[in-house]
Formats: sequence, structure tokens, C-alpha cells
Amino acid sequence: MNAAAISAHIEPIRHEYAEGRSLILPALKYAQTEKGHLTREDIEAVAEATGFSAAYVESVASFYDRLYLQPTGQRVVSVCVTLSCMLRGSDELMERICDRAGVSHHGGTSEDGMITVQEAQCLGYCDHAPAVQVDAEQTRGPLTLDDADALVDELRTSPRPDELWR
Amino acid sequence: MADYAPVDLTAEGQVEFELNGRRVSAPAGTMLVDAAYALGVEVPIFCYEPRLGAPIGACRMCLVEIEGMRGLQTACSTPVQPDMVVRTNSDIAKDGQDGVLEFLLENHPLDCPVCDKGGECPLQDRTFRFGPGRTRFVEAKRHFPKPLDLSSVIALDRERCISCYRCVRFSQDVAEDKALVMQERGAAAEIATLTGDQYEGRFTGNVIDICPVGALTSIPYRFTARPWDVTNTPSICGHDATGTNVELTLREGHVARVTARPEPNYAVEEGWLSDLSRFAYEGNRAPDRLTAPLIRDDGRVKEASLDDAVDAAALVLGRGGRVGILVGPTATVEEGFLAQELARTALGGARIQRLGIPGAGLDAIRSQPRAELGDIDGAGLVVIVGGDPPNQQSIVELRVRKARRRGAAVITVGPRPHALEPVGTAVRSEPGRLAAAIAALDLPEAASTIVLWDEADLAAEPDAAGALARIVGDRGASQIELGADVNGAGLRALGLGAGDVLEAAAAGEIDTLLTIHADPLDGPGAADWGWALGRVRARIAIAAYASAVTDASTVVIPAATHYETDGVYVSMTGRAQRLRPGATAPAGAAPGWELLIALAHRLGAPPPYRSAARAFAAAAAARPALAGLDYDVIGVLGAPVAAVTPVSPNGVNGPREAAGTGLPLVTTTRIFGNAAAHRSEALASVRTGAELVLNPAEGERLGIADGARARLRSPHGECILAVRLAADHPAGAAFATTGVPGAGVERLLPADRGPVNVEIEAP
Repeated sequence: MNAAAISAHIEPIRHEYAEGRSLILPALKYAQTEKGHLTREDIEAVAEATGFSAAYVESVASFYDRLYLQPTGQRVVSVCVTLSCMLRGSDELMERICDRAGVSHHGGTSEDGMITVQEAQCLGYCDHAPAVQVDAEQTRGPLTLDDADALVDELRTSPRPDELWR
Repeated sequence: MADYAPVDLTAEGQVEFELNGRRVSAPAGTMLVDAAYALGVEVPIFCYEPRLGAPIGACRMCLVEIEGMRGLQTACSTPVQPDMVVRTNSDIAKDGQDGVLEFLLENHPLDCPVCDKGGECPLQDRTFRFGPGRTRFVEAKRHFPKPLDLSSVIALDRERCISCYRCVRFSQDVAEDKALVMQERGAAAEIATLTGDQYEGRFTGNVIDICPVGALTSIPYRFTARPWDVTNTPSICGHDATGTNVELTLREGHVARVTARPEPNYAVEEGWLSDLSRFAYEGNRAPDRLTAPLIRDDGRVKEASLDDAVDAAALVLGRGGRVGILVGPTATVEEGFLAQELARTALGGARIQRLGIPGAGLDAIRSQPRAELGDIDGAGLVVIVGGDPPNQQSIVELRVRKARRRGAAVITVGPRPHALEPVGTAVRSEPGRLAAAIAALDLPEAASTIVLWDEADLAAEPDAAGALARIVGDRGASQIELGADVNGAGLRALGLGAGDVLEAAAAGEIDTLLTIHADPLDGPGAADWGWALGRVRARIAIAAYASAVTDASTVVIPAATHYETDGVYVSMTGRAQRLRPGATAPAGAAPGWELLIALAHRLGAPPPYRSAARAFAAAAAARPALAGLDYDVIGVLGAPVAAVTPVSPNGVNGPREAAGTGLPLVTTTRIFGNAAAHRSEALASVRTGAELVLNPAEGERLGIADGARARLRSPHGECILAVRLAADHPAGAAFATTGVPGAGVERLLPADRGPVNVEIEAP
């Protein structure tokens, strides 16, 4: 994504932020909607649009789990492994999703490049434990192991959203 | 390094408080760590570094107990308060310090035996003095593939990092290159640049000095020495005119490393070195270093002993011909004075000059009140006239950036773009028309104003120097000269002019030439010097490095470099400071002052002294500008030379018209584009060459494309350069890089570096 497009996105919301550097986060999030991850060009475009150095912008991106500096699969499944979900079987759920997606039990991206599975800390969905998040906006739970299989199958065949909010 | 800020315990406005049961006082606003240190109590620190700006309390090492405050407080970010009761050594404070050290060491490897920092490591030292000595951490430490090259000179061992942020703050807040950051978070946090980039800049090496652990180490110095088999000597950087204070690490007779001094000179460099000051030392053993005396006889060259070479030199000089003596810009005050004494006594009637800028019109501005570099910090307005300080007097850049951070207005005016222009308001002057730009300056009101002015640019425009002097005088401002030559001020203080020998040689009145660290055939006016010296019959060279001059000299006597000799340099701000030998000169070389004294003995006019110190004392007694100085007075931090006698800024000549036709030549310099940088292997990956930079419109007009080569011709000489078209350079001028060995841009210039025009064409 280029700097002009990022500027067009962040300038209307600039007044909401007391400090200019706080705009780096919405700018990065928006830049990521294009490819699903951030390339060096995206980082440099955000740097240009926000007026901070590319190194600083990258350091911000590296701090956050949901900003990706490496390519991901078409869809990303984040499995909550924090306490409530863990007590309700998130370990097994994680393993099942990984098996179905064909990645190691630590997570990763499937060989066909369709699905990335990763662990996540609390999604705030404890009353629906064990829960997962698909891309950024959709949180689902509670999931049985069969639900997990269905979820992976569904994501494998469903189209990638035009704008990826992760 | 500096660690604690200096505290003036006698200043006005002291605050009384209790420290470890003692009633003490310190100036209001002093941070508790600094006050305690000044009062003899060391509170351990890692992240605190007063030169980096406001404390951030990142490492938590400085925990102390303050009565009435809940929990332990960080002494680095707590200013002293009236009647506060502080305990740094109570059980609870010690427990806090123990705990923090145990945490810091959790992920820190126990690789001290193979770590370069071992023996001079704050983490190691403070663990011994303040730590628990025992860890309860049994889990696996973090590991990284090691080490990572942050640049060609800095290695990063990530597992040793304690995330103190000192290097990040240096990059973000001092050098302002914004390149170093902390990536990732928590236990995965690591120091990094933008992925794929190297940490390159003018000041990168400082992060090695301020790293309190062995995470950032110097690649050229890695694994070469241990702190207990080196000796450290305070000295002065001999690569620019700023008089940067350095410490030379000496191992087995060689300079193994250059660092900032543990106690910085706050009036000069404040403990920050440019990478040129820090890494150029490798050039001290470069292949073009002269290590054996040579005598040329009927075309045969033979190596000789030092004694024989000095004898031969005395023989040639004593033959009775007319002698000219050239003193180069890196010669010390002692060498310049001894050369003058030779010309006055043994070689009576000899002509003598320094190689440098005559600067006849500069006394008006030079005689205005001088400031030190340290005064820039506190100025309300900083005006930079001409020059390119980031590349020529690099540490000035850090001072100006610091002044700007403290709220100073910065105004730059000059013909060439440079890195300090974006810091403030930039006014672009037409080449050769600085006076008009200065007259048109609209300077804001400020409590204190410091004007920095470039020696070479103003010497080329005497009316601009006068105009600037009037502004400085009217505003009650002070001025700092951005000097072009390392010891130009020292040689001027001796009363050495800069034109005599050239004039006499051009008129055929020099038979024998003695050069002392002087290389006229590679410097400004090289072409003119070449013509003038054509009629010289014999040459004697006292020099450290081979050059066109030594290649054609009858006798070549290798001299010690500034790393190897005693001596005094006077910085561009008029501060006399001592060089101390950090290395031994090669067996076939000797310090210049020794050689000149030996020469005087052979010529039958022995001076009444045999040491550099006594030679300097004699110079100080004989020259009013050095009055009252000796090695003791100069001491470790230097002492000012006498001010220049006031000269009226009125009555200076009009603008000097440039010689020749074509585009006005604007010379530029690059910090890593000079002989010193080109000699140092450590700087191999950052060194730059010479180029001609033109505005794209000029390129189109001349029919020269980006990347093409062009021939430049002035009335003095010509050279061929690669062309770069850059829109940030104004049209109407040709920008060519000087100082690059072998590029020959100096041939275009007159010896006094005055204005010239150049014709540009495809070769």
C-alpha cells in the first residue's frame, strides 16, 4: 500500500489522537488489509505517512501479535490458550485444528497457503470457552473438536475477504 | 562511561537532605543518583546516562529507600527534595538491588570469559559489588544465533542485552538518526534496525561506549585485547579541527582502539565521537605509512638510518641555497615553532608558511567573543553560516541538535545542502554571495546567540566575514569558527602565514624545500603548487605518509603521527589541548619535534631544550597568543589561547570575483571521503568517493546524464568526476567533493581555496 492511501485513511482520524505517533497503529492495521501482512514497502509507506522512521514503525509492528511481518495463509485462526479456554480443552482444540490444517502442534501455515494457525492470549470470550478468532473480527466458541474440523474445512473453501482486518 | 552527571556542590540554591544518615546538600533539581555520587555514595545504574536526556527508569537498578514513600524509588529519576531521608544501603534497598540484578542476569549468559566487555563491564562490576552472587533461575536462558553484525563496525550479541535502551535513546534522541529500535517485546525484545538495514551514520560507534554490557562491541577491536593488557591514554583526535577529546587504547605499541574518555570534556565533545574519530586509527598502520628513512641520490633510492637521514637533510639544507619551509595542517604547535626557529636561526632567511587558508579578512569575525562547543547547548539562537559541519566538524552536529531539542532556534545559511539544514530554517545562498544572504537574514530575538561560521567559505568572501562580524557585534553574540584544518588555529597562533613560500617558489626564489607533514601536491591548489615547485632543486620531507611530495624528495624522514607523539593542537574554538602518545612510532620514524631538534643540532644552531614540553614552553614564551600556557596549565582538559586582537569589521573588500568561466564551483566534503577514512579498513564499507553533483536542470543544459562522467576545468587545473544529478542541489553551481585521495578536485582550486568557476563537459 502506498503512503497516499494510508494518509487518506489516517488524516480524517488524526484529531482523535493526542500524539502523532499513536496514528502508527491504525496506519499499520490499515496497510495490512491489502495483503494480510506488512512488507518493507508497507512499513516505509506508513513511515512516510506518519512522519516517523521506518525502523520505529517496524518496532511498533513487531510488538503486536496481530501485525504480521511475514506472509500468512489466506485465513488466520487464533486459538485462545489462556486460562478459561485451557480449562475447557483449548490444548486439544489447538491440536485438532493443527492436525486438520496440516501444521505442527505449535501452529504455522498450511502447505497450500490457505490457513495459518496460531496461539492467542485471552480473546475476552471466556463465556464461550474454548474460543477461536478467525482473522480479526470473528470470534467463535465454544468449539467442540468436530466444530474444529468443520471450521478448518469451511475456511479452506471460503473466499478470502476483500479487506483483511486481522 | 560518563555515567553520572557532574554536580556543583557549591552552586546557589542547595537543597538539604539526609543520605544514609548523613546531613548533606545538593543543588535543587539534581537527580538523586548524581547527588549521591558527588557525595561519595555510589548508587548502581545501567540505563541512566545523563547525556541521553531525561531519565527513563528502564533497568530499575538504582532502587533506594526514601522515607515516607511507598516501595523503593528509582534514584535516577527522583530529584533531591528538601529534608528527604534517603537510604541506599538499608536492608530493604539492598534487597531491591539484589532482586533487580537477579532479574537482569536471568537471561544474561555467563560468557564473560569470551566477552570483549569482560574486565571493563558495568554489569560484571556491579554484580560483584551489589549483586546477590547466586541465582535461583534454573530454567533455560534465551539463545540467539550469535553474533549479529549491526553494521560493519558494530557486533550485536543479543542474549547479552539487558534492554536498558541506552543505544536506542542515543539513536533516537542524540544522533537523531532514528535507526536503532527495540523490536518484539518481553523476553523476545531485541535491539535492531529496520530489517535488512545496517546501522550506518556519522556517530554509530558511540553505542559501543555506552552499552553497559557486552551486547554491542566494536568489530575491529573484538577479541584483540583484555582490559588488563592495555593502557589507556587521554589524547586528542587529529582528524578534524574540533579538538575532540579521545582515549587511546594502547596494546603492544599499537593503537588498538579509540574511545571517548571515561570523563568527557563537556566543553568540547561531551563524550560523543564521530565514527571518523573512532575508527580512523586503523590507518595508523596503513600500507602507505612511511616506516624507513629514504635518501635519493642520482635516481637511486636507498634506505637509511634515521641518523643518516637527518645528517643528509642537514647537508642538503645547509648548502646555502634559498630554503622554503612548508608546515602542514596536522603539524603540532611544537613542530610549527621549531620550524620557525630553524628559519630564524640555522636557516636564517628561509621562507616559511603553513598550508592552509590565509584568511586575511577573517580577523574581524575571529576577534569577536569566542564560544566553546559546550556553549551551543544553552544558546537561544544558533546561526550556521556556510560549511557543512556534519561532514567536516561532525560533533558540532550533535551540539546543534541538542540545542534545538532544548528549544533553540536554528538558522542555516550557505551554498550547499547539509544534514543540519532540516533541523531549522535553511536559507540557500548563491555561490559567492554569502554577504548578501547574511545581510538579508531576519534573525529572531534571543537571549543568547551563537554564530558558527565556516573558515573556507568566509575566507573566500571577506565582505561576508565583515557583515557577519557586525551582526555578532551588534547582537552581543559569540562566535565559533568551523575550522578547516586540524591545527590551523595552533599554527596561526604561532604567527605562521599561508602564502610566502608559494609566492617565492612561483618567482623561482626557492632552491630547497623542507616539508613538515605537508603535502601541497595533493591539497587545494595542487596544480599551482606543482608549477611553483617545478624549479625547486632539492626537497626534504618530514612526513608520516607517502605522497607525491615524498615520492620526489631527496631525503624522506618518516615522522610519528598524532597517535604517537607529544604535542599541542589548538582547536578551532581556540582551545589548546595535549596529544599524548598512545602508540610507539615505527622503528624508522620519530616524532616531528624530535627530528626538528636533531636537525637544528646538525645545522649548528642547537635549541636549549630537548623535550616537547620545553619546546612548547619556549613557543609560549615567544608568542603572545600562547602566553601563560605550558603542559601543566593545559592539563587533561585543555586551556584557551589568547583571543585574537580586535579588528574592525568595516573596511573589508567587496566580494571576490571567481576566476574562470562556467559554473561557480562549490566544494563539498564527506566525513568518510578523505585520506584518513580511506586508510582505515574499519571504514571500508562506508567510505565514499568524489562526485560532481548537479541540479537535473544543469545536467540537461550541459547534456550530461546521471551516472555519466564529466571533465571539470578551472583556470588552475582539471579533473574527471562521476556525475550525480540531484534535485536538492540548486541550479547555478557545480558541487564537487574535495578531500578524496586521488580524485584531484583540489587541482581545480587556488591554494587559498578562493572562488573559481569551472567549465564542465563530457570527457
